[in-house]
Amino acid sequence: MSEKIRTIIVEDEELARNLLKSFLKEVENIEVVAECENGFEGVKMINELKPDLVFLDIQMPKITGFEMLELLEHKPHIIFATAYDQYALKAFEYNAADYLLKPYSKVRLNEAIEKVAERIKSEGTESEVADKVSNYPREEYLDRIVVKDRHKINIIPADEVRYIESMDDYVMIYTTGSRHMKQKTMKYFESALDPNNFIRIHRSYIVKVEEINEIQQYEKESYIVILHDKTKLKVSKTGYKNLKEVLNF
Amino acid sequence: MDFKHPFISWPRLAIYYVLFWVFAAVVNILLRWIAYDIPPGTATVEFFAMPFMFAIIGTSIWYVIKFSTLENNSVFRIIISHVIAASIIVLIWLYFGVVFIKLLHPEPEAYIDNRIPINIFMGYAFYMMYIVFFYAVNYYQGFKEKLRNEGKLKGLIKEAELHALKSQINPHFLFNSLNSISSLTMSDPFKAQEMVINLSSLMRYSLKHDQIDKVPFHEELKNNRLYLQIEKVRFGNKLNPLFEVDEDCLEAQIPNMILQPLYENAIKYGVYEATEPVDVVTRCKMKGNMLEVVIYNNYDSSVRSKRGEGIGLRNIRDRLQIIYNNPLLMKVEDNKTDFKVTLAIPQN
Repeated sequence: MSEKIRTIIVEDEELARNLLKSFLKEVENIEVVAECENGFEGVKMINELKPDLVFLDIQMPKITGFEMLELLEHKPHIIFATAYDQYALKAFEYNAADYLLKPYSKVRLNEAIEKVAERIKSEGTESEVADKVSNYPREEYLDRIVVKDRHKINIIPADEVRYIESMDDYVMIYTTGSRHMKQKTMKYFESALDPNNFIRIHRSYIVKVEEINEIQQYEKESYIVILHDKTKLKVSKTGYKNLKEVLNF
Repeated sequence: MDFKHPFISWPRLAIYYVLFWVFAAVVNILLRWIAYDIPPGTATVEFFAMPFMFAIIGTSIWYVIKFSTLENNSVFRIIISHVIAASIIVLIWLYFGVVFIKLLHPEPEAYIDNRIPINIFMGYAFYMMYIVFFYAVNYYQGFKEKLRNEGKLKGLIKEAELHALKSQINPHFLFNSLNSISSLTMSDPFKAQEMVINLSSLMRYSLKHDQIDKVPFHEELKNNRLYLQIEKVRFGNKLNPLFEVDEDCLEAQIPNMILQPLYENAIKYGVYEATEPVDVVTRCKMKGNMLEVVIYNNYDSSVRSKRGEGIGLRNIRDRLQIIYNNPLLMKVEDNKTDFKVTLAIPQN
């Protein structure tokens, strides 16, 4: 192979990092260009260095490996390395190249690298991670949302979200005192947020139940929701039905 | 202590009691009618006025024995309180008995003159019988309660053991530790060996399945130091265990495997979510008759994890409640920068 696979390691434990590094040292077509101790660093380095391959741990401080993936502008091939087997299914939904269970052998690692090498040959160095992510059905509701505003990563607890507005390919997430853009669909948030707390009231709006101050009829068969801070949001027919269902009126 | 009357908490006993007195009434009335030729009406009035009246008033003797239990009072106190209570109850009994007789008996004056002196003696005799009866009931109830608690405690110990084992084979701990060992075998084989040995000792301790519920504090402490040492190899500088243990605590007694869930929480919610070093501090001292164990760690509250009182903390609270009969021995404080648990373990 002519060109080396440029690789970044994102792993919070030093010993695990060392092990992976020493394994990779002996693999000819791999070049480790950076190592990161957490997801924040990971986002920064991946967007900056645009590697071909990332070794990614899932359970890390601050943000998880999955949350980190959502923040990437550059989408490299991913090999997950984790001690947990319950994320395997989700990892493949994210179009991961492979999923290594710790502790793994060198042989197993080499197999994973083979797969990536083949993918690079057939698909190029960018993978299709993000597209698969958006509509992933979840077994648990979100308790936080990770967003990136310019160069800062913010972690928003789900119960601080006031409402969400759709804006073409993005959504705008309104919290008390600030708002954040995120590249996700309304449909994603409708299914990922706890439906007892968040109601889809319109094609363009999801609102948190506790924020609703008043539901007003303003024309025949059409309604608006007025929030505690006087913000007015349109309610569609289906939205009104959803409101009725959750609020029980 | 449960003051509830056994006739209420144990209705079957009340039914037997009533049946017994009905039976006694029938036998007594028939006997006196047939053998002594006393008209059944008079015999009935007499029976209801005196013995049966005691059957009603006597139920209150339960509260007297509850207030002067054999375990917690001196003999002198018990005797005095029973003499006083007996006199009061006999007096009340006689008063109602006489009223009853005067209202319903065909010859009240003769009956009162002849029978009352002997009835005073009878009253005290009844009283004696009743306290024997109620002490027996009380003892039996206490015995059953103890059996129930022992069963519950055994269940909780099992649960704690199972929890310890489960947490040691969960991927958080076991597989990540094994991965650390895998890494160390290349970079530092001696340390790898040490870690294998530590891991073995820890698992052996939890597999020991002792049914004893209490161990010397130094043993429990040793086990948890081991646990922290293993985690320290993984987390390096991020985990900083600190121990301030007074010498005189070491021989104190503490329930088996009660501390590990606290360290586990400190690591799960503190160390695992941190990028900065986290101090896990253990401070132990004797406070009079109590061993006080304080375990706290700093943590970053901006990383939100839902946390209620998890299985670990609940198990600790339940066990302390059952062993020491006091729900206030565990105190949990969370000020959003530190999470702190204080245990007070009574010593004998």
